[in-house]
Amino acid sequence: MKMTTRVAFDNMKYGKSKNILIGIAIFLTTMLLFIVPTVGKGFIDLQFAATNELYPSWHALYRNVDSDTARQLAAHHDISRYGLRSDAGYFNLKDARISMMYMDKEGMELYRINLAEGQYPQEEDEIVISPGILHELGQEGGIGDTITVPYQIFRGGELDLTQEKNFRICGFLKDSDTGLEQRIYTSLISEAFLKEEIPGEELSYRFLLQIKDTGDPTTDDLEIKINNIAKQFGIPENDININSDYLMANYVDPSTLPAIVIIMVIIMLAGAITVYSIYYVSMSQRIQEFGKLKAIGATRRQIRQIVLREGLCIAALAIPAGLLIGTPVSKAILKAFTVFANRDSQYMSVLTELLETGKVSICSWWIYLLAAIVTLGTVYFSLVRPMHVAAKVSEVEAMRMQDTGKNRKSCRKGYEYLSVSRLTWRNLTQNKRKCLITILSMAATGIFLMVVATVTSCANPKESAGSSIVGQYEISPVIEENNKEHPERKWTEIQQNNPMDETLKNQIEELPGVDRVDAFTNIQVTGDPFDEANDVNFINGIPEEYARELEKGITRGKVTYEELKSGDKVIIDRALLHWYPDLDIGQKLNLTIYDGDRSYNKEIEIAAIGNYGSGLTNYAYLLMAKEAADSLCENNSVCFYHVIADQDYDPALEKSLRDIVNTSGRLEMRTWKEQYDHYKSSMTITSGACYAFLGVLAVISILNLINTMINSVHVRKKELGMMQAIGMSDSQLMKMLQMEGLFYTLGTLVISIGLGSLAGYPVFLYAKKDGLFEITTYHYPLTAAIIISVVLLLIQVLLAVGLSRSVRKNSLIERIRFSE
Amino acid sequence: MKTDSSKILVLEDLVKYYGSGENLVRAVDHTSLEIERGKFTAIVGRSGSGKSTLLHLIGGLDRPDEGKVWIEGKDIFSLKDDRLAEFRRKKIGFIFQDFNLIPSLNVWENIVLPLGLDNRKPKKQDIKEVISRIGLTDKEETMPNALSGGQKQRTAIARALVTRPAIILADEPTGNLDSQTELEVMSLMKSCVTDFGQTLVMITHDEMIAQMADRVIEVADGKVVNC
Repeated sequence: MKMTTRVAFDNMKYGKSKNILIGIAIFLTTMLLFIVPTVGKGFIDLQFAATNELYPSWHALYRNVDSDTARQLAAHHDISRYGLRSDAGYFNLKDARISMMYMDKEGMELYRINLAEGQYPQEEDEIVISPGILHELGQEGGIGDTITVPYQIFRGGELDLTQEKNFRICGFLKDSDTGLEQRIYTSLISEAFLKEEIPGEELSYRFLLQIKDTGDPTTDDLEIKINNIAKQFGIPENDININSDYLMANYVDPSTLPAIVIIMVIIMLAGAITVYSIYYVSMSQRIQEFGKLKAIGATRRQIRQIVLREGLCIAALAIPAGLLIGTPVSKAILKAFTVFANRDSQYMSVLTELLETGKVSICSWWIYLLAAIVTLGTVYFSLVRPMHVAAKVSEVEAMRMQDTGKNRKSCRKGYEYLSVSRLTWRNLTQNKRKCLITILSMAATGIFLMVVATVTSCANPKESAGSSIVGQYEISPVIEENNKEHPERKWTEIQQNNPMDETLKNQIEELPGVDRVDAFTNIQVTGDPFDEANDVNFINGIPEEYARELEKGITRGKVTYEELKSGDKVIIDRALLHWYPDLDIGQKLNLTIYDGDRSYNKEIEIAAIGNYGSGLTNYAYLLMAKEAADSLCENNSVCFYHVIADQDYDPALEKSLRDIVNTSGRLEMRTWKEQYDHYKSSMTITSGACYAFLGVLAVISILNLINTMINSVHVRKKELGMMQAIGMSDSQLMKMLQMEGLFYTLGTLVISIGLGSLAGYPVFLYAKKDGLFEITTYHYPLTAAIIISVVLLLIQVLLAVGLSRSVRKNSLIERIRFSE
Repeated sequence: MKTDSSKILVLEDLVKYYGSGENLVRAVDHTSLEIERGKFTAIVGRSGSGKSTLLHLIGGLDRPDEGKVWIEGKDIFSLKDDRLAEFRRKKIGFIFQDFNLIPSLNVWENIVLPLGLDNRKPKKQDIKEVISRIGLTDKEETMPNALSGGQKQRTAIARALVTRPAIILADEPTGNLDSQTELEVMSLMKSCVTDFGQTLVMITHDEMIAQMADRVIEVADGKVVNC
């Protein structure tokens, strides 16, 4: 073994306690550096795998494509795979909706449609159905059996008259739970049947396609190609449907990477500061040792090598340990995520299954390598300065080093009399830089903790749910602006036949447990300043019951509810300024107001700017008195019924309301309970992850405190023994160590809690502005501040007790002779 | 204990062994001794004879395996650690060969430290008098690292004297000094003992210094062989 390696190895064994601390710091740093990308990547991989299991695999589909265009598209050099789908018509059944769909083999694959049994339809009278369809038809049959189907075919843009035909069952599809619940099914018919029923010139397809992979395309690259191809073939924008979920799941979204990198840089810094400060603090006691080595002939390079190799020896043990423990911890974290998340949804249950069956591999070799390399880099980075300091030690000065030192003053004003507290203070001021490094490195984590605690304490699930929904239930019509298949769902269409009428309101109000129902109006507008023609916005008509809340939310300008009744003034929600930062009070908006099938222009002034929860605004940016909003439309523009109930959660009432909504078929409902559960679950996951992460960071920085105090006692062992020889009692020694620790603790607490509280407030304002967790009210994170204080104080007390015991382990004589 | 007020220190069959079996070292082996108040006693012996161990036992820095040490009629090892520390700071003054000053405290602070540990505020005038006596009047604010060996030892002497202890124990206090300084320190110690009427027990292997003592006790193999 080389001399430098041998000395480094012996040093490692000699400075056991210091090296154990460094080892723990490197171990924790490695673990975090491994866990963060593993969990981040694992979660994304799981989501993507779940998406791949559930979502169709086509990148996009073009609607209304005729046979010729389909043929030409198929030959396009950018398209790697394509399939065809054509919706021939529907079964004519009273309550169930059963589509008759043709799909070619590629189309089936792109849609991930697999037959439960049988084969795809080939002959004109063959059909693939599901047990649910048989049930809806009230017929029975297996493969080869014949069923009678009443159906309507799409001809000339409308459903034709009902016909009846006997089909032979050639295969079965599996029913989905949602399908059964909503009574929506799909049957597959043959191309022969399609062509027989629909004349060639009327036949249109949905052209499903996958874009050729060239290089490493991002989702944006693919979307550009999809739109370009459509343009080349004159396919209008409205006929393009991009499968964003699938694209996101399979191609890189560049926004996730920076987040992971930032977190890893924070960990690296915490690790580097800790390892550096442990070395820095211990260096003074090793100066003599390096001086002796130099005196007997070690070169500067050899000294640097000794320090480096000692660090690398520890890293060689700590890094594999960090990776080894990080692996099961990452898996446990991902498991905890799926447990906390809503398992009822099909998506989450697929995700959980993928994790549990190990179909998605969580750990990648490159993350192991990355974590190991980054940690080694961190260790090297933190050793550069100690290596430099050690190599620069002068032989003579180091050999003499007992009371000497470059920076030591030869004269200093002192206290007239001494006490234990003054002795403590004297020692701390003697080692200002050491104190500062220890306190600052601990305070950095403390500040982070306080900022996160501010956000989590402001993110109260009850408040967030209350802010995102007014009352306990919100009933509104199903609105879809750009769905050609459901033009009746356009808001202007709904206005003309609005299910949100007085009968519905009365019906809800009569339900037991309902206090009242508040109706909010929605008026669709476009125009100046919303520069894009397609940028549809809404004016939300707020009822008088919320006048105070509306006025209270104003952050700039002034307007009363009474003034808002004129219909010429609006309050804009501050969120709109994010998109249109030039909007200001007094500005006139030239709006086109849509009222059913008519529209007209109106000038409306911005009277004030306010900050409101989405519950009150109903996600509209322009707010007006309901009375005024109503007067802008002739049609019924009520869009939301907010149900104020006497209990936050009443299963019986929810069921009654759900029945009303389901029976209507045109309504949908959001509940306070759902919002509460959603916020609670996401806050638990987010804050749990943040605290776990910061907890490990805190442990890393607490190692600093432990090292500084151990070192401070170790270096002064003789001095402390001397003081005891001349009469310092054990309890006085204990008190002195306690006070030293208390200084570090209080210093850390003052900076962490002080700066952390100050830094927390702007973060709260940012979260409030951006609607993060629907945060509205500032709550000082008192619990977190108390927990941080108690934990730090406790650690410090335990440390002082442990240290004082370890000091007393040696007899007084041994301590006095320590340096001899 | 039979109290004879003239005897400030009584050792009663004191035993301290280190190691075991073949490696057993009888550092102090059944030693009994009496030392009179106000006298300067020198303990001499070869290196390894057990004189330092004896001094440590006398000062309560180490506990004996057997036997007792009485100082001013008090069995010091009957005291618990905290009480013993308190007793030490009140009744015993130490002077060590390598000075053992606290590097972070200046001369003044090093001197008043035992008083501070005893929660006593020093009388400024008294301290000034002691400092003037040791000849460090202009060095009150000097840190130990800027003092010469002789100055350090003089500071240590002042620290030992400041509490007016019943007994001062010195462990080869001139061992690290040149001969000129050695003489200065010795005469300072002797005059202080005389002026303040204190008892001094000093370990030395220097015959010439031993000659300055009122009484010389010789130790060999852990036993008092001549007193």
